[in-house]
Amino acid sequence: MEESVTQLSESSGRRGLFSEFFGAIGRAGWRGIDHFGAAGIFFIQSLAMIFRRQQLKSIVQQISFIGAQTMGIIALVALFTGMVIGLQLYYTLIKFGAVSAIGSAIGLSLVRELGPVLTAIMITARAGSAMTAEIGIQRISEQIDALITMRINPLAYLISPRVAAAVISFPLLTALFDLIGIAGGYLSSTIVTGVNTGAYFYRLKASLAWIDVMGGFTKALVFAVLVVTICCYNGFYAHMRKEGRGARGVSLATTAAVVQSCVCILISDYLITSFFL
Amino acid sequence: MDQIHPQPLIEVKELSKSFNDRVVLNRVNLKLFKGQIVAIIGKSGVGKSVLLKHIIGLLEPDAGEVLFQGMPVARMKAREKEHYLGKISYMFQNNALFNSLTVHDNVAMPLRYQRRAERKAIDAKVMQRLEQMELGDAAGKYPGELSGGMQKRVALARALITEPDIVLFDEPTTGQDPIRKNAILGMIAAYQHKFNFSAILISHDLPDIFFISDIILALYDGKIIFDGTPEAFEHFEHPFRTEFIQSLELLQQELTGLYSRRQFKVRYQMDLFRNPRESGYALLIFNLEELPRVAEQLGPTALQELIAVMSAYISKHFNEVGGFSTRYGSTQFVTILPLANADEAGRLVALLAKDLTRNGLSRLACAESAARGGHRSASITITAGIAEGKSQTPLNLVIEAARLKQQPLVRFNVKCREN
Amino acid sequence: MKKYASETWVGLFMTIGLICVGYMAIELGHVSLFGGDSYPLKARFSAISELHAGSPVTMMGIDIGQVTGVSLDQKDHQAVVQFRVRDGIEIYSDAIASIKTQGLIGEKYLDIDAGGAGDQLKPGGTITDTIPPVDLTDLIGKYAFGSVGGNK
Repeated sequence: MEESVTQLSESSGRRGLFSEFFGAIGRAGWRGIDHFGAAGIFFIQSLAMIFRRQQLKSIVQQISFIGAQTMGIIALVALFTGMVIGLQLYYTLIKFGAVSAIGSAIGLSLVRELGPVLTAIMITARAGSAMTAEIGIQRISEQIDALITMRINPLAYLISPRVAAAVISFPLLTALFDLIGIAGGYLSSTIVTGVNTGAYFYRLKASLAWIDVMGGFTKALVFAVLVVTICCYNGFYAHMRKEGRGARGVSLATTAAVVQSCVCILISDYLITSFFL
Repeated sequence: MDQIHPQPLIEVKELSKSFNDRVVLNRVNLKLFKGQIVAIIGKSGVGKSVLLKHIIGLLEPDAGEVLFQGMPVARMKAREKEHYLGKISYMFQNNALFNSLTVHDNVAMPLRYQRRAERKAIDAKVMQRLEQMELGDAAGKYPGELSGGMQKRVALARALITEPDIVLFDEPTTGQDPIRKNAILGMIAAYQHKFNFSAILISHDLPDIFFISDIILALYDGKIIFDGTPEAFEHFEHPFRTEFIQSLELLQQELTGLYSRRQFKVRYQMDLFRNPRESGYALLIFNLEELPRVAEQLGPTALQELIAVMSAYISKHFNEVGGFSTRYGSTQFVTILPLANADEAGRLVALLAKDLTRNGLSRLACAESAARGGHRSASITITAGIAEGKSQTPLNLVIEAARLKQQPLVRFNVKCREN
Repeated sequence: MKKYASETWVGLFMTIGLICVGYMAIELGHVSLFGGDSYPLKARFSAISELHAGSPVTMMGIDIGQVTGVSLDQKDHQAVVQFRVRDGIEIYSDAIASIKTQGLIGEKYLDIDAGGAGDQLKPGGTITDTIPPVDLTDLIGKYAFGSVGGNK
């Protein structure tokens, strides 16, 4: 009798653990879907309010922050990325006697994948995190509430200019990254290792087609939407975080925004490449 | 009151709100009639700001409702809400200024995004308001470059720029030095008079808040434990009162050398009833005349300095002979000299007058607008009245008697400090 | 100063960015800004291997155009290649089109021998004299099993 009782309680305890485990997964899943939907609405509302009065000045300011001030770091990263790919490809291709293919390999990898992805990750690190922190601070210091009481739509005032600026800046910075990366590859492969200069550019041009270039820009646009939405959404709701409020909420929001942005960039990159290109 | 204003402008009915099982507001009621100033007092963390945020619609109540002219705020349609927000202004506890915008742009914000007024007209209006608030020099600066006190004034300027019907002030005087505290409360009172807005005010600054508010609400433990006039609050007995008010009164006394009205009465009882046989005393009343004109010419800060300097003179002359004093209104002072008659008191008043004419109340910090308008000084008259009292006669009657006997004491010029 | 700098930077950024995008689209993406600077031609093959839209068209090793599309003509059992050739390059009715490979394992491309006799081809004209691509696997197979030149 006693034995059966202990067995019963043990099994019920196990069931409790199971149901708790799956319950937690289920709740997390629902929360995820909830946030996904909310972020989607958040983005569409902000997008709709880009073309209001008095937006141009703020858009220019945001382009300055997201685009212009990010040029330097993008150029630096692109140069070294191109150079290191040039070197690595050289050491690999020379074993097959196919060093002349270095141009097409660099061109394809940069334009199709590395350009858009690395640009988006660099912008997230530099401008995205700052966006989340700034909006988060404006939330906890009641500036967003102040906007509401002044009858200024906070989405139109804070988010829309950033969405517009991101959609403009991402493709431009991606193009910059691609070209500087190609130049970097040229430097390391022709000057350092001595590949024929003419072959580099000839192969590069010959191997790239319109669909590669278009695909790269499509990715840049998709990443722009993802990064700006994730970063602004996290900042805007920094005060709603369960784990911590106030300054701690802002720091958590910033971390979450950067991590989520990077993960979403890589996942969506795979999806776009496999389904559309 | 209810007969004159049948419908309150804002009415909070049985409002309750909890955050994470913590009850912050418990069936709170509040009525704001047109032209009134309602002050909410209470220790920090009792939900005063939460109440204000419900009124403007930033938070939604768990139970109860907020009515604006009889219409529930939570159920307003977008257009009605827009209309409501246009009539109401909120001054945030942390100022909520935008760091990336200049002071001028911050103040212009509520106008720029709403009315299609001309940019020039908006700029002119903003500059005028900034100068009234002694912020003219700061117009091009960013909020981060200003002191806490100046930021507070910028926030006040922004709240008043739309000339709203209702203003909600969330601790407008916190973080200000005592002079500016009074200046801000004075400004609120002055603008209230000028624009006839109604206001709900959260403040810790007793007793100054009594001078400008019509109704006092005391919030304790999520409930309203007092709702009445400032006079009634003087007689209100609750553990909260001693806990909350005494520290503030001590601060006040330290700053001006004067007693609060409550302490004044306690001292009065103690001094005069201790030896009832020799219970005669002399009561002096001083009044600074034409203060609104001075405030207009020299600015609100100068006015408050004037009052502070006057307080210092009164304490200096009467405290050493056993007298004790209080401010009895925004411009009146009452002093009691125990064991004195009118003649003795008269001699002391003459000495005060001599001292005032010799040393004057000079070198005040005047508003920039005053300098531009050519006002570097203003003339001011102080009147004084003397009455004799006995311990049996109620204090009010003695004060009334002294007030009736008021005569001009001195008339002199106050000068602005050279910047 | 702050205002001036930010707007100048934005202007500079937009200019550089647009130049980069333009360069990539035109030079690397092979977009022709003006549709009129090339004309369309067709060529019929028995097989086209991996030739596809976007493959280069060359003449004596020099790039002269691009393949715009490939289609199947089931009636004649032939593959039809549509391509565009730069204006000013004259191709005659006896021209020979052949499909070649860049290097041993590289991309397929279309090579044109302009010819010289006969009439000049008008836009939309067809080259009928064509050489299908060499199938490398076939070639290696033949070599390995000795059928190349083994029919003597």
